[in-house]
Amino acid sequence: MNADPSVEDARPVPHAAEAIALAYESTAEVAAGFRISVPQGGCRRVEIGDAMLKAELCRAVLDMHPGPGRRLTVLGAEVGKLAAGERAALRARVGFLPAAGGLLGNLNAWENIVLPIGYHSPRQLPKMAQRVNALLNRLGAPPRALLGKLPEEMTLLEKKLTGGVRVLVEAPDLVLAEDLDDGLDAAQRGTAARLAEAYLATHSRGTWVQLEDGATT
Amino acid sequence: MVGVYRELEGCMQLFVHVLRRLHVLRLPPVADVLTRQIYFTGASATAGIVLRGAFIGTLIIAYVINVLDADAALAVKILLWVVLREIGPLIAAVLVVQRSGAAVATELALMTVSGQVDSLRQMRVDPHDYLVVPRVIGIALSNAALTVYVQMIAVGGGMLLGPVVIDASFEELADNFFRLATPLDVAYSLIKSLLFGAAIAVIACYHGLNPPGRSFNAVPRAAINAVTQSTLLVMLLNVVFAYVVYGVLFFGLIKAEV
Repeated sequence: MNADPSVEDARPVPHAAEAIALAYESTAEVAAGFRISVPQGGCRRVEIGDAMLKAELCRAVLDMHPGPGRRLTVLGAEVGKLAAGERAALRARVGFLPAAGGLLGNLNAWENIVLPIGYHSPRQLPKMAQRVNALLNRLGAPPRALLGKLPEEMTLLEKKLTGGVRVLVEAPDLVLAEDLDDGLDAAQRGTAARLAEAYLATHSRGTWVQLEDGATT
Repeated sequence: MVGVYRELEGCMQLFVHVLRRLHVLRLPPVADVLTRQIYFTGASATAGIVLRGAFIGTLIIAYVINVLDADAALAVKILLWVVLREIGPLIAAVLVVQRSGAAVATELALMTVSGQVDSLRQMRVDPHDYLVVPRVIGIALSNAALTVYVQMIAVGGGMLLGPVVIDASFEELADNFFRLATPLDVAYSLIKSLLFGAAIAVIACYHGLNPPGRSFNAVPRAAINAVTQSTLLVMLLNVVFAYVVYGVLFFGLIKAEV
């Protein structure tokens, strides 16, 4: 996994918008400036020391709405300049993996995984069983053991893997994985890291951004 | 006062959303929720609700017939107008409030405070489409079905019990009943029970999605608000319905002539 600490002081740094998967920065009028910039393609690990800033970044991307004094660029497009319909279309190209998987408590793993596909593209549902099985096998999680489990019966790793597979089957162009390593031991982190490998293996032009706690550099 | 207005507005918005987005019921995950809701409210609760409804209905018949010293004709009219049109839908609705209204408000409030509703938004799944539409439709349909069960059991129980307290045979009561009953009676109680069910579900969903706080302490409070308000609304709707149907809209058409 490429280490790419990329939080910088706010400076008007010109960049080629097309090559940017994700950029979040304070505009010039804000005193405490910062700039987070992630190039397109590959797996990027971004360490952000300020938990509030990390949450703000996630919220801005998920809502496709940069707050006041902020500039957000997603997949080469500056969000603030887009119309509502364009923002919605851009949002559909972004997948989000929350720290604990973001699972619904009354659905088992299989139902959690196919929920967004069933809602957005129900015609793809018949292909899902094979695809999900292949992904789980690749991740080293036996489908037969995992798919029938409710979230309360899962370990944290299983929750993250289930949430991760749910994101992968939608094949977004950009994935934001929040605190993927959080709460996992070294071996489990290795398993979780396979999510990014599986994503890039099936979506070579995609960008996997892993947001973690850490010293802001 | 502002809070009451906000709640009314929120419930109306949810109801309008349900009417506008009925087509999402075709989506497999939403259809699954609908099936589960119908199973929970309409199927798994049937025995208990029908039994309780039958007890109450039969008790009313026995009591009213005895107190009024009714003959066969009056007993049948009581069965038709009191049990079929009024008590049946009301009993079913109150029992659905107690069971499904409380359960839906609790479940959704738990989902809200534990961030599961936010997870739906993160998946670009509209929580109102996925959580509210199937529950409202499921509870409305189930309430209508339960009403029919309660009516059948209560009217049947009344007819069986009638000969014990008045001088009339079961055949005489049944003959009078089917001569007097019209499809309008069934339609009236069905429309009313559908409306009751939808009202119960909308209020339960509203309080579940808007609990009074973000801690787990807010969950039982959301359930209490849902149960008390939906019981009140069901009673209010029943009064309004009775007034509109008997007093204004169809005055003279199906007006009771005791």
